[in-house]
This record gives sequence, C-alpha cells and structure tokens, in this order.
Amino acid sequence: MPPLVTASRSSSTRARSADDTVGSSWADAPCPVLVVDRYGTLVQLNDAARLLLPEAVSGNRLHETAPSWLSDAHRKIAGGPGEAPATPLSGSINERIVLAHPTAAAGGDVVWWLVDDTDRHVAEEAVRSAQTRSQILTEASSTLLSTLNVPRCMEVAASMAAQHLAEAAVLVAPAQGRRHPLTYAPRGGPVVQVSRQIDTHSVPGLPEALQGFPPVPARWIDPSVLPDWAIPEGFTGPVGSVIVTPLPGHGVPAGALILLRSSTEQAFTEGEEVFARLFAARAGAALSAARLYTEQATITATLMNELLPPPLQRVHGVQYAGSYRAAKDHERVGGDFYDVHPGSDPSRETLVVLGDVAGKGLDAAVLTGKIRNTLHALLPLADDHQRVLDLLNGALLNSRHTRFATLVLASVRRRAGRAQLRLTSAGHLPPLIVRADGRVEEVPSRGTLIGALPIVTAHTVETALDQGDTCLLYTDGITEARGGPLGDELFGEQRLRRVLAECGGLPAEAVVERVQMVAAQWLGTGRHDDMAVVAISAPRTGGLSVVDGRRGTGRKDG
Amino acid sequence: MTNLPPTPFTVTTDREPPTLTVRVAGELDYDTCGELVDAVVRELYDAAELRDVRLDFHELAWIDSSGLSALLMVHRHTSAADTILHLDHRPGFLDRMLRLTNVLEHLTATADHDEADERNGDVTEAGAT
Repeated sequence: MPPLVTASRSSSTRARSADDTVGSSWADAPCPVLVVDRYGTLVQLNDAARLLLPEAVSGNRLHETAPSWLSDAHRKIAGGPGEAPATPLSGSINERIVLAHPTAAAGGDVVWWLVDDTDRHVAEEAVRSAQTRSQILTEASSTLLSTLNVPRCMEVAASMAAQHLAEAAVLVAPAQGRRHPLTYAPRGGPVVQVSRQIDTHSVPGLPEALQGFPPVPARWIDPSVLPDWAIPEGFTGPVGSVIVTPLPGHGVPAGALILLRSSTEQAFTEGEEVFARLFAARAGAALSAARLYTEQATITATLMNELLPPPLQRVHGVQYAGSYRAAKDHERVGGDFYDVHPGSDPSRETLVVLGDVAGKGLDAAVLTGKIRNTLHALLPLADDHQRVLDLLNGALLNSRHTRFATLVLASVRRRAGRAQLRLTSAGHLPPLIVRADGRVEEVPSRGTLIGALPIVTAHTVETALDQGDTCLLYTDGITEARGGPLGDELFGEQRLRRVLAECGGLPAEAVVERVQMVAAQWLGTGRHDDMAVVAISAPRTGGLSVVDGRRGTGRKDG
Repeated sequence: MTNLPPTPFTVTTDREPPTLTVRVAGELDYDTCGELVDAVVRELYDAAELRDVRLDFHELAWIDSSGLSALLMVHRHTSAADTILHLDHRPGFLDRMLRLTNVLEHLTATADHDEADERNGDVTEAGAT
C-alpha cells in the first residue's frame, strides 16, 4: 500500500503531509490558496487567503468560514470522483469576485486556488453597460432624428429619458411668449404636453440650463425644493433624487430636462449622470434641428404666400382667370408670375401683367417678387406702357448678372359692352385672342426683354374683345411643354391655337382650365418648366345669356 | 420623357487669333449655361490679341431663357474686352427667341454686315411672325 494511505489522521500530521505533497510553494503563491480535507475541514491556508478570509484559521469548517457556493462545491468534489469541473467555479467572497480552481491532493484533500477576478468582472460589467448605453443612445438618435416635428421630438425625448434614465422626466422647452411648452413623461405612463406659465427660478439651475449658453453641467438639486409643476401627475411616492440637465442645441437653447427618481429607487450614479448628459446632447441636437427646420419652413411659407399668384375674379365687368403650375410639383413658386391690378373705378383701366423670369426656383421667385412690387408702384403710370417698361428695366438692370424677364402688359377697360385692350409684349410670347366664333388671332405686339439691356423698346397694340371673346396670356412653359405620343415633342403654338379655337365663347375660367389640362395631358409625367396662363374675357351680359343661351356660360354682368 | 439619348452638352473652344471660335452643342439651359460663360471668359482674358468671338450653334439642340441670359452675359464680356460677338449657324428656335425678345440686334450690333450674310445662308425657319 502506498504510504499516504497509512498516514496518521491527526491534523498536525495531515498538515505536514499536505506540505509534503503539495510542496511549500503554494504558501507563497500570490493568489489565495485553501487546503481542505475531504470532510470539509480547513487544513491550511496561505497569507493571501488570510487577507481574503481574515477570520479563517486552520481547523475551521469550510462551510462556516467560506461562502456556501465554495463549501457546496467542495462537498461535491470531495465526495464524488474528485474530478475538477470543466469550467472554473466563480463566486463572491467578501465583495471580491473569485474564480476557484480545485486540484486534488494526497488523502482526498482538495487544494483550492482562488483567483481574484473582481477587476475583470468590473471591466466586463462596465463594457456591458457601456454597450447598453451606446445602444440606447443610438436608438435615441435615430428615433429623435427621424422626426422634424418639434412636439413629437419633445415627446420622444421625454419618454426615452423616463424609460432609460429616470422614473419620470419633464422636458422644459424655451418659452414661446410667456409660456413654456412642458412635456411630462412618467415611466410607463402616457406623455402629457402642456403649455404653461412657470417660474423657472423655482427649480435651481433651470434658468441657466434654459439659456443654453454658456453651457452648464447637469446638477443635482434638493428634491424638497421642487415645485409641484415639475412633478408629473401619477408620479408615486416622494421624490428621492433630481437632476436638471440642459439640452444643448446648435447654438440655440433647446430646453432642459428634469429627471426624477423616487426615494425608493437608488440615486443617480456618476456614470448615470454622464450618460444623462450624453443623452441630453443628442436630444438637444435633434430638438434644435427640428426647431430650425420648423422656423425655415415657416419663413419659406411666409415668403411663398407673398410670391404666390393671386386668385383672380371678375373686375369691372371683365372676367379674369389665371392658373400657375411650378416647374417642380413640390415647389409652389417659380419664375412665372401674373397679377391683376383693378382700376380704382370702372372708368379706369385694370392692369394685367403676366411674365416669366429667366431661371428657376427660389432665385427666380425672388426676382418675380421684385418685378411685381415695382410694377405695383408704377401703376399710376400705366397709361404709358413704354414708360412703365423703361422704369422697370432701370430698376432691374444689374451689373452682376443678366437675369432678365419677359412680360406682357394688358390694360383693360370695359366700354359699351366691349373690353378695350392695350397690349404690350416685352420680349414675351404674343398674346392670342380667341373670338366667340372660334377664330384665333395673334396680337402683334413686340418689345425688348426687361432687365438686361440698357435701352428697351416696345410696341403697344390696341384691340377690343366683344362678348364671348377671350384674350390669352401665357408663358413658354405651355408652348414648350415636351411630351405627346413621341414623348419629346414640343406642345407648340399651333397646338395651343387649336385648343383655343375650341374655346370660343367660353368664360375665362373654362379657357384657362382647358389650356392647362391639355398641356398637362401632353406632358404626361415629363419634366416641364413653370406654366402660367391668364385669360381675359368679355362676358356675355345677363340678358344676352338668357337669349343666347346655347353654351349656358353667360354670367350676369357686374 | 425622351426616346432619343439627349445630345450631351459640350463647349469646345478653338483659338486662332484674332478669332476665338466657341462651338456649343447640346442643350444650353439652366443647368449648362454657366459652362458657356466660364469658357468664353477664360479665353477672353487669357490674352488680348482677340478681335472676334464666334459662337457656333450648329449643334445646338435647345436653348431656354437661362441660356439666353448666358448669351447676354457673354456679350457683356466680349464688349468689355473690345471684341465683336458673332452668333453663327443659328438654328431656327434660337433665331426666333432672339427676335421675340428683341436682343438679336443688341447681341450682334457691331457685326451687322457679317450676320446679314450668314443669316441668309443658315437660317431657314427664322422669324416669329
């Protein structure tokens, strides 16, 4: 029999025997080492183990000294076949995380090598939480940036904050007038948005956070000073901890976030505070992007409204109708324009202007605005079209560019049942007149385009519209519409004349609709320029329409 | 929209003092007109021995109002550089546009005698009326 089996069972001899077997080197090992016999008695331990288990001494029962995960594991190994488990055991001992590697020693003893794993564990935990946070931040960014609607953005920001950062969040937006838009988001509850007059000074740090600049750090505040308005409805229990963090925008204050936790939950850790700041930065960026976009959209809409063609109607016994379609369907303004300036009384002429500015989009729209304003100011001189064009040309001449406009001026006055017309084209397509019987005539007015040459000349043509006649002013967007059966054919003046020939006797509105409709059909889905049409009609008088009611288009004369 | 591949827009300059020839092919429009002005300006101020600038429109496929605006700008530059602008081989649509807007004379004011000859030879569907 091997000598080990016959060894004495007294503990002192056992200790020696362990020394003999394991060797004395384990005593100097930097990691804690425990030698435990098969009955669970601590036989030996080294200095490192004493540090880990300060109360342990040789002879202790393992289950009284060490945590149960270790003593249980020991019982299993010592009682069983004595094989080490495939993966090292892990558990905590006195707030340290250790890995326990057992090796068999003589006489059924087990030597437990304990490796301190706390740092790795902490690092892994940090990585895991950093991953979770960066996931949350990514989600926050993509969710927040997917909307440019400010209230929706605030709702998402507050609700995400309540979900990931605190038990409840209150987003305070910069004041609009005297009221602050407030967004309340209790965790799991519905988000409530109100606009309320609040005293921002009632929450310490809030006024600074709302200013946006200079940037202020998130700060802790005493929960007891929190005013009622800052606590969302449905927030249960007393407030335990509160953080006020600014939402930094792109140079503009985007608001502030108040994060609340009840006293039953743990207070914010330093890491969470940093995380709250990162979240706030993203929310602030998204909010200010949404806010800037909304401002831009409002400005554009305001400008557009100024630049949009006016609705036309009947003026002093003459019918006017207009239609405008911008080059791109999503744009509402462009390089074509028209206006009708009614005479101050029926004896005075009404001035109609239709024109086209070289170029496209907003640049062109701004120039049309300038032309329309200038012409409005020149109305008192409208008796002399040449003079108006001279002055307009002078106002538009510019040394930097040669962006020009072509336009038609039409002065209209009703006299003795007819509409008297004075027409002047300044480099524009000649107006067409469709008589009540369907004949189409071109008005032979010619003139120089406006805004590029120092001197402009123009030739005014006088004509008259009888009842049922219509004069059509149009831009080249109509005649140069490309489409048709071959897809790339110009609509052309001839086709326009043929369409007009079918419009004899129709009211102005119907003529405009017909022309736009046929041109639109010609285009199909093709690319096109701005298209503007204005029709001037001498309507049939009420009496005539009853007598001559063939078309049923006559209207009562005003 | 179109069944045929559009002619690509190109500006080719050919400098043989005292003449600069600029061949314009394709569509001279909002998107391309800047190129023409740039090309002419580059050549104009490169050296001073030029007397004539000839824009050759033989292969011009289309022109819009922005294109016309560019021609007016080219004219400003050629006048400033004391050179004479010629608009050669004008297709019908170009001629028609220049007459409608009443700028033909202005653009070719100092080259009337040359233009008259070319117009007879090259322009077939000219004239708006």
